[in-house]
Amino acid sequence: MLNYIWAGLIVSSFLFALGYDIRDIHTDRYRNGEALPLALSFPQSYDPALRRVTVEIGVDSAGYAGFYGVSGGSAKRYTGYLLQSRAGIQIRFEKASAFPEPLATIAKVSRSRDEELQGTLTGPAPAAGAATANMGVVFEPVRFVKLNAIAGAALDFAKTAAEIALGLIGVLALFLGLLKIAEDAGIVFALVKLVRPILRPLFPEIPPDHPALGMIALNLTATLFGLGNAATPFGIKAMEELQTLNGSEDTATNSMVMLLAINTASLQLVPPVLLLALMGTQINTLIFPILTTTVLGLIVAIAAAKLLGRLPGYRASDPNRLPQA
Amino acid sequence: MDTVRDAISLVSYFVLPLILVGFPLYGVIKRVPVYESFVEGAKDGFQVAVRIIPYLVAILFAIAMFRASGAMEALTRALDPVLGLIGFPAELLPMAIIRSLSGSGSAALVVDMINQYGEDSILVKMAAVMYGSSETTFYVIAVYFGAVGIRKTRHAVPAGLIADAAAMVIAVWTVRLLFG
Repeated sequence: MLNYIWAGLIVSSFLFALGYDIRDIHTDRYRNGEALPLALSFPQSYDPALRRVTVEIGVDSAGYAGFYGVSGGSAKRYTGYLLQSRAGIQIRFEKASAFPEPLATIAKVSRSRDEELQGTLTGPAPAAGAATANMGVVFEPVRFVKLNAIAGAALDFAKTAAEIALGLIGVLALFLGLLKIAEDAGIVFALVKLVRPILRPLFPEIPPDHPALGMIALNLTATLFGLGNAATPFGIKAMEELQTLNGSEDTATNSMVMLLAINTASLQLVPPVLLLALMGTQINTLIFPILTTTVLGLIVAIAAAKLLGRLPGYRASDPNRLPQA
Repeated sequence: MDTVRDAISLVSYFVLPLILVGFPLYGVIKRVPVYESFVEGAKDGFQVAVRIIPYLVAILFAIAMFRASGAMEALTRALDPVLGLIGFPAELLPMAIIRSLSGSGSAALVVDMINQYGEDSILVKMAAVMYGSSETTFYVIAVYFGAVGIRKTRHAVPAGLIADAAAMVIAVWTVRLLFG
């Protein structure tokens, strides 16, 4: 299943990106090679001999909308400067200006080394000493934006994934250390006895006195109180305990699937801190619906894990199945 | 309701300190060499973190590509008529899809919707309940199974996704029942 979903995500993202890019080329969304009309004004009057001239750039709303075939938008003013050389006049918009679409996308492609939107001015050069001029600007051609975007996203998130994993090291070490103490002191064993009546029916494969039950209990307790930081190491430890009961090296057992299903449903009494920060006092009215939803979700998760495990295909792949009689 | 909530949040202040202090303290009472045990256990922190990297990279980059491709817009448009039948608002579909895929992505969507509709709109309440009542299934799979090297996940993905889908629909219904 995961194989197909994974391949599906990758292949479909390529197809969708290609589709959108072909549509953009077809509708000429970025008007590659054509000049967008600009109204330039020079605060210090224009001097053709200077290499760098400060400029105020006005973009007429109707002109912009007509040029790119977008609707509405108010007139925009930007600051920037001209760079003059024998080859022609380059215009650069001030860094981090707020552009409307599709100019915002163009700004990501047609950019200078200092991350300014840049383009080449066309039309007759302004007269020396002029205060204003109407010229056009041609940007670098923008093609295959989405294809670039998916490649960029893949590289970015490969890095993010490693950062997330390495960021876990400290917290993992802390809680795995505490868990080792808990094991050696017999806390886990005491916990196993406590939770056995509740957890046994969900995890029938685990022997009654196995520490896995205790780790699962710690994992669920941490989740229940919204302690995501602690829940993850406890869950990982529980998985490691379950792996000691697994006859296979790389195939999930029914207990592992059950633990995972319970964790994805994430039964918690306290809403996530992030949601609290986002919603402010509104969160008070949401506690009850969140709790209801997560409890019902948990029931569905447990039922799904149990019932799917009975399907012939998944039963056959169970690493702990009894040899055929 | 308020006192229950207060009690729960009060208890949750104590759970973490209780684990942090209680475990070593109980260990000392039981004459366990607590420092040695701690270091022995903590040694695994690095290995576990490194072990999950390939799993996390595989999952996160595929999901990031999917989100960057604009596939979500197309999917939203395609599923819109089906969702109307079960009373599921189209505005929440991206949230419902992203919730299982990316935790940061779904949090960003909540922020987005707050800016767009305001905190007390029913759509934002639904989105917040969706966010708060479920975990990022694919992240959990990558981390938990990655830590023990499980590659053949069997029915974990379908079970997680069925539970997620149910939670999304239930979230919409409960909020509508309470505030609609």
